Amino acid sequence: MLRTITTKTLRDGRRSMLFWTLGIAALNVLIVLVYPLIETAPQFDELLGDLPDWVVAIIGEGELTSPAGYLNSQLFAALLPILFIAYVGAAGSGAIAGEEESHTLDLLLANPVSRTRVVVEKALAMTIGLAWLGLVSWASVVLPAMIIDMDIGAEYVAAVTLSAVLLGYFMGGLALAVGAATGSRGLSIGIVVLVAVMGYLLNALAPLVEEIEALQRISPFYYFYANDPLRNGLDAVHVTVLGVGAAIFVVIAVLGFRRRDVGV
Amino acid sequence: MTLTAASDVPAIRAEGLTKSYGRKRGIIDVDLEVRRGEIFGYLGPNGAGKSTTIRLLLDLIRPTRGTASVLGQPAHGSAVKLRRDIGYLPGEMTLYPRMTGRELFQYFAALRGLRDLTHAEELAGRLECELDRPIKALSHGNKQKVGLVQALMHRPSLVILDEPTTGLDPLVQQEFYRILDEVRAEGRTIFLSSHVLAEVERVANRVGIVREGRIVVVSEVETLKRQARRNLELHFETPVPVQDFERLPGVVEARPDGRVLSLTVEGSVDNIIKLASRYTVLNVLSREQDLEEVFLSYYAASPPEDAAPGGDEPATPDGAALGA
Repeated sequence: MLRTITTKTLRDGRRSMLFWTLGIAALNVLIVLVYPLIETAPQFDELLGDLPDWVVAIIGEGELTSPAGYLNSQLFAALLPILFIAYVGAAGSGAIAGEEESHTLDLLLANPVSRTRVVVEKALAMTIGLAWLGLVSWASVVLPAMIIDMDIGAEYVAAVTLSAVLLGYFMGGLALAVGAATGSRGLSIGIVVLVAVMGYLLNALAPLVEEIEALQRISPFYYFYANDPLRNGLDAVHVTVLGVGAAIFVVIAVLGFRRRDVGV
Repeated sequence: MTLTAASDVPAIRAEGLTKSYGRKRGIIDVDLEVRRGEIFGYLGPNGAGKSTTIRLLLDLIRPTRGTASVLGQPAHGSAVKLRRDIGYLPGEMTLYPRMTGRELFQYFAALRGLRDLTHAEELAGRLECELDRPIKALSHGNKQKVGLVQALMHRPSLVILDEPTTGLDPLVQQEFYRILDEVRAEGRTIFLSSHVLAEVERVANRVGIVREGRIVVVSEVETLKRQARRNLELHFETPVPVQDFERLPGVVEARPDGRVLSLTVEGSVDNIIKLASRYTVLNVLSREQDLEEVFLSYYAASPPEDAAPGGDEPATPDGAALGA
């Protein structure tokens, strides 16, 4: 585990990863297992119908009792992407700025490793970590869904999970770029939280207001959720936007880190 | 390795190296040449710019102007290649707290492509370095040992040590000095920063003194030692004729204060002791000058044109400001 910066970074995070894994699995299993109670209570849908449009928009789903509607509203529309963003936000902001603030970066860079390599290996560690959480999340929805005979396709769960993972890569890239270019973990986390909150609200509420309707498309959440991947699968353009965006952020992280002084 | 082969080029050369931090202290117009196979002491009080110089050499920070080359290569352009052949102990070093020393060596050895850890084991043994406890559980001195071993374990051509003996107990310090002597005997170069004159005197061939970001003097340690002065305080039973002492060779200054005579002496104190023995001496206090006083005596002793870039600044006797 100590052969490369990537594996060493993953090793450092192994305890935290254990809790992320258990937490996401437990959450998903619980949500799925509660579904039979909701399925047989159509009054939930009526309740939702009485709510104002903007509340429904924030919930992100117009029906609760269908399998897809239930999973979207309870898990995929907000909770899971937010958990993924929390994970990559911490990993991305800590990748360079974290080592810098804990004063280990001087020592790491005294080895014959380029700054590019450090950024890329740290990005790779974050990528692997989130891919693992995506896999855990997918399995912990699909397996209990089979047990309770929930009518949901594993491939569609995979689609929405992958979409959330890509949103995570995008936001993790942002965290990495800000942290690497500025050396400030606080600034990096702050910007990620700001973009996540604004992005979520903009995606949910912009369509309701004609004047700002077009702004929905600047929200990363739009590219994650607009196609409703749990019902319709992935949209190639949306996937590309998030993937390319994440890659661009890694490039910015490399360039920003290469040109500046390392803080003491 | 090609880098080590070109042993005629200096290990370190800096020309007009300057790093400005706005109002914070940096370094100004540092010219420096460190030869192959020597131990160069980079001496100065805390905050004088020692770490800034070192971090410029390692391309951790970039100069405002000026150039630096290390082992014949530009410090900025070939940083990664260079670092294969450099060992570095940072000044305010922090190690990965949850790793053990052994794990840290394994990690850095892997990053260096170093397969053989026997030298690391040997160094760790000699410095009595704790290898199997998490670094966060180690004392400051034990952490420092881990830092020293990782700086030396790959037998680099150039070892850059920023305040290496901080926190080491005296016995380990002696062993560390022996290791440095061996490194030099193998023709490798050591650049060592310190704020302790005695340490630099003990290990270094040459010394560069840095003060407020400027190199004040570069000199052979032997020369510096010859110039070194001591303060001698003689307590007599009755007042003595001061002018007799002032006339003695080596006496730079004599300050009488009742029955106490304070002398600043260059070189041997033999004449003074012999003269003093004609009177009843109650006590003799002798003290080597500290770094601050060496600076001041250097300023006082040099003609203005030799007083180096720092010469335009008055040498104030404000010892607290330097805090050596």
